[in-house]
Amino acid sequence: MSSLFDRIGGTAAVDAAVEVFYRKVLADDRINEFFDGVDMEQQINKQKGFLTMAFGGPNDYTGKDMREGHKHLVARGLNDSHVDAVIELLGATLQELGVAAEDIQAVADIANSVRDDVLNR
Amino acid sequence: MSYIIFNDKHIDLNKGQTVLSALLDNGFKIPNSCRAGACQSCLMQSVEGSVPETSQQGLKDTLKAQGYFLACSCVPTTPLQIALADTSSLRIKASVVGHDLLAKDVLRLRLKPEQAFDYRAGQYLSINQNNSIARSYSLASVNKLDNYLEFHIRRIDQGKVSSWLHEELQTGRELEIGQATGDCFYVPGAADQKIILAGTGTGLAPLIGIARDAIHQGHSGEIHLLHGAIKKDGLYMHQQLITMTNEYPNFHYHASVLQADEVKLPVRTDAIDKIVTDIAINAADWKAYLCGDESTVNTLKKKLFLAGTSMGNIYTDPFITTMD
Repeated sequence: MSSLFDRIGGTAAVDAAVEVFYRKVLADDRINEFFDGVDMEQQINKQKGFLTMAFGGPNDYTGKDMREGHKHLVARGLNDSHVDAVIELLGATLQELGVAAEDIQAVADIANSVRDDVLNR
Repeated sequence: MSYIIFNDKHIDLNKGQTVLSALLDNGFKIPNSCRAGACQSCLMQSVEGSVPETSQQGLKDTLKAQGYFLACSCVPTTPLQIALADTSSLRIKASVVGHDLLAKDVLRLRLKPEQAFDYRAGQYLSINQNNSIARSYSLASVNKLDNYLEFHIRRIDQGKVSSWLHEELQTGRELEIGQATGDCFYVPGAADQKIILAGTGTGLAPLIGIARDAIHQGHSGEIHLLHGAIKKDGLYMHQQLITMTNEYPNFHYHASVLQADEVKLPVRTDAIDKIVTDIAINAADWKAYLCGDESTVNTLKKKLFLAGTSMGNIYTDPFITTMD
């Protein structure tokens, strides 16, 4: 049986998803304040890394990276509700791209698995 | 903690400190300007030891291979022996062949380089006032069409180089310029794609170069140039741009002036980020060039991206003002 990453479409799917996903994030008033003033090109590259990881692809994310990378946002109030919003938008993105419901659930589960690291707890 | 050796002097670096900051702290005069890795004024060369990749971003492969790096974005992890870049081959002499005002505070400077000079319209280069002060300016000319380099230079209050260029420089004088750099330029290949070029103030300089270059290279799709200013005298190329719309059927010019009460020109009065999305309907089909004031460029970039333009189709040249 093929892997989750292959079923979703591999790196091509990451490329297709990243701009759709980032647009949703920037348009969402629940979370877009955390993205004010960031370099958009850099952010897209970071999100490609995140999507690759969430799609079950090859990545070198570590819990430490996740903690360090979000520490300043936790200090600004990042909490579970924001992580929920991101996972919701991730699901909506994949739905738009025609990914099967059970694969979307699998992606959500991977994203959920780093929740505690992201929130530094 | 690492250290550098420069001019036979051993200098310890604090944690996270850049090579440029350490050299300036130790009293060395190193040419520098943007301190953000963009202008390449602080180009140096490693004689011994390897430099971090981040300090070579944007440099030509040939320079990277020779150990050139940017001191402002170099935080070494291992000891380095460094020298000022041998810039004699990188800087070239140019003489002033044109020096007149396009508006009260906008100088049109035309330079003739002493030797063959390669660039793409929309790139920028540094103009050196002397060995320690340089500023980057965007080219407004087109390599194949103009036999001079043209710049539009806004006079900045307290700006050392812009005041010098405005007040002291004259036709016939000589100065030194660096190599052209930057990735905001026209690339042939999608001749029928719609193009929007937008900016405020002297952001117009690279935009007008890119537009003329695209037309010269046979671009057949619509080209829309949007210039925003606070007052009407900020529209410093208004007549020339109207002339261009008469010459080239696919070229369109949109002007916007914020202070409406004094406007008698047929121009719009809303902010250019509103106008940009009015023009670029079905934003996903467009290629965009955004130049000038940094925050305006960022606002326009975000607006177009959210409207559907792919980030890979957005080219920017945000102007960074240096005061010291």
